[in-house]
Amino acid sequence: MAPAVPELQVAINDFVLQLQRRQVEGSLDSAKLTVLLLRQVVSQHRASHSGQASALIEAVKNVGVRLIAASPIELAIGNIVRRVLHIIREEEVSVTNSTEAEVGAGFESDDNDNNDNDNDSPPGLSAALLAAANRSALRGPSLYNLLESGSMPSAAVVPLSSGGDSEDRSRSCEKNSKGWKLKHAVIEGINELLEDINNNHAQIAEQALEHIHQDEVILTLGHSRTLLQFLCEAKKKRSFQVFIAEGAPRYQGHTLAKELADLNLQTTLITDSAVFAMISRVDMVIIGAHAVMANGGVIAPTGLHMVALAARRHAVPFVVLAGMYKLCPLYPHNPYVLVNEMKSPSQILEFEDMSEYVEAALGGPAMHATNPTFDYIPPELVSLFITDMGGHNPSYIYRLVAEYYSPEDYSLE
Amino acid sequence: MNAYYETRAGHRGGPSGAVTSEWLAQAEAALVNPPSSLPRSSPSNGSPLFSVIEEFNLWRSKPELAEAVAAIKALTAVIQRSEATTMMGLEKELHNASEALKAWDETSISLSAGCDLFMRYVTRTSALEYEDIRAGKARLIERGERFGEISLKARKTIAMLGQEFVRDGSTILTHGFSRVVLSILKLAAANKKHFSVICTEGRPDSTGVEMAKEMVAIGVPVTLIIDSAVAYTMQSVDMLLMGADGVVESGGIINMIGTYQAAMVARSMNKPVYVAAESYKFARMYPLDQKDMSPSPRHVDFHVSLPAPVQVECSARDYTPPQFLTLLFTDLGVLTPSAVSDELIQLYV
Repeated sequence: MAPAVPELQVAINDFVLQLQRRQVEGSLDSAKLTVLLLRQVVSQHRASHSGQASALIEAVKNVGVRLIAASPIELAIGNIVRRVLHIIREEEVSVTNSTEAEVGAGFESDDNDNNDNDNDSPPGLSAALLAAANRSALRGPSLYNLLESGSMPSAAVVPLSSGGDSEDRSRSCEKNSKGWKLKHAVIEGINELLEDINNNHAQIAEQALEHIHQDEVILTLGHSRTLLQFLCEAKKKRSFQVFIAEGAPRYQGHTLAKELADLNLQTTLITDSAVFAMISRVDMVIIGAHAVMANGGVIAPTGLHMVALAARRHAVPFVVLAGMYKLCPLYPHNPYVLVNEMKSPSQILEFEDMSEYVEAALGGPAMHATNPTFDYIPPELVSLFITDMGGHNPSYIYRLVAEYYSPEDYSLE
Repeated sequence: MNAYYETRAGHRGGPSGAVTSEWLAQAEAALVNPPSSLPRSSPSNGSPLFSVIEEFNLWRSKPELAEAVAAIKALTAVIQRSEATTMMGLEKELHNASEALKAWDETSISLSAGCDLFMRYVTRTSALEYEDIRAGKARLIERGERFGEISLKARKTIAMLGQEFVRDGSTILTHGFSRVVLSILKLAAANKKHFSVICTEGRPDSTGVEMAKEMVAIGVPVTLIIDSAVAYTMQSVDMLLMGADGVVESGGIINMIGTYQAAMVARSMNKPVYVAAESYKFARMYPLDQKDMSPSPRHVDFHVSLPAPVQVECSARDYTPPQFLTLLFTDLGVLTPSAVSDELIQLYV
């Protein structure tokens, strides 16, 4: 690991503790704080020798693994770490390419000196070809480059390492400027990412008018900031009605109902168990997600799988709002068990009322209370995703994953 | 019985079965020796069509070498022997050779998919402005010869991706015999996962029996069932895992007969259906129904003498539409069925 500045180390430890204590919760907050922390990691990173990008990747990964372990349920943390790694990899390629172009004339002679370094790059390959190879290496495997992939690792490594070697020997000052350029570009990329996260609610809300029509009846469950802003935006031009299932046992639906009533939207609060009774009158179900998995499955607050099934039964469109930072490149291998968090049972029952039964649990068979936080909704039940990049079909999610993440980062171990 | 299934059955008949170290060694040896150094029963007598099929059969006779790999090796040999002086000439020669190969066994999907993939690569490479035809040829030959390695790596990648889906305590239903499926299960067992496997019998050539034997060899509890017991056992199954002869543009698969009904039963009971297939099996086909494929009949023995008017349905494979599949494990990653057409479009458009 790179020599870390003490301040930075303190900041990392603080954030890890906050995550462990669940003082930071929710995908938006944890995503934002992760971006800020990783920006700090990158900007304070000092290692100006050759493999700068790889050292940077290593440093980010090390921090990332700790953050993910601190709160595995906040999938957004892992997503952000992978996004930052992807930014570094992308910038590395573009910086290398531009440096090669700049020193193109001198590079020729250097190349002759270092012929032994260029172990197996065929003579017919031009720099442009190598750059293309780099780019396709970033894009991950596809049928298109299947036949090339045999030599892909060497082709991708050769230009970088030989370029680094020659420059190390002859022009170390340029090397430094290249390292600085990379870091600068990466930080710029991270700032853009932060901006995207900050703007995602507004960008999603912009599309509201395309989806909500006059006099429609919308149903949702629980509370979501994305959804609130989405409905606000629609309210400006349309009048419609919203049913809100309260979302027991956290009752965040109550909060949303109050906020919408303040906007003069016609709001009806219902119990979770009344969803099926009301669904036949509903035109569209809109929800906010906690995370979107690579297969198009959704992790969302408990009760929403039931809502999705009710919607399917009556052929009501089930629309999921999710910022791109919620898009997780992993597949749910065992979603019903793995991706969940058990909260305190005190939300379900008062300790005073039930204490005698709960206490008995220590001795023998008695009542248990479980309070899971999330449901997994399989992709077949989702009609549409609305992200800050537009509307997408669940079967298209894998494409977005390929665009925003590098395949080598899927597993951070 | 057509040639395709004959050789497949022949491969399986061997004592060792799927991916063995022996086979790895053979495949690696095949990489070291260029095809030109192999003894050829009749050296090219001026007819390139004749030799390419022979070359293909020579490679195919290597046990456990996938059909598509053999096709690409044979086409590589064509380049090696070619006397064409222009890239266009070479392309034309290769085109004829690949058409001849495809015509030789029209029923094999992976053969035609392998040929198409390589032809596509040749067309793209020549477009990359190699000034010297020799350099272009050398590159193509090098690629072709490395393909064996690529296909080996593909199987390893799939095993890595697929074994994540094997959970402790789960029961997996397999249908027929597949080398990729076997490599997934082997890796999962090696990673100390506890699971059990239910194998269908795989009538009429009992490929499932081979699979069951392999499971015993790796110490995984296994149950063998008759093909008609799929629905009966589905209740206790956690996932259906199958290989494929070919993956078509719709994202559906063409595989041993019985795959369709197994997938249908699994889907109706909400069990995930996973397919493991190397990406060189992606074929440019779009079958709309079962009759939309060239038939590949084979002999079915009913063990009784049948009166003449009784007709016997003897198709060797069926088409499973994409809506019955959950995910595909390929060397390009875990894909949804709709991602398959995306990959094919990228390659061919």
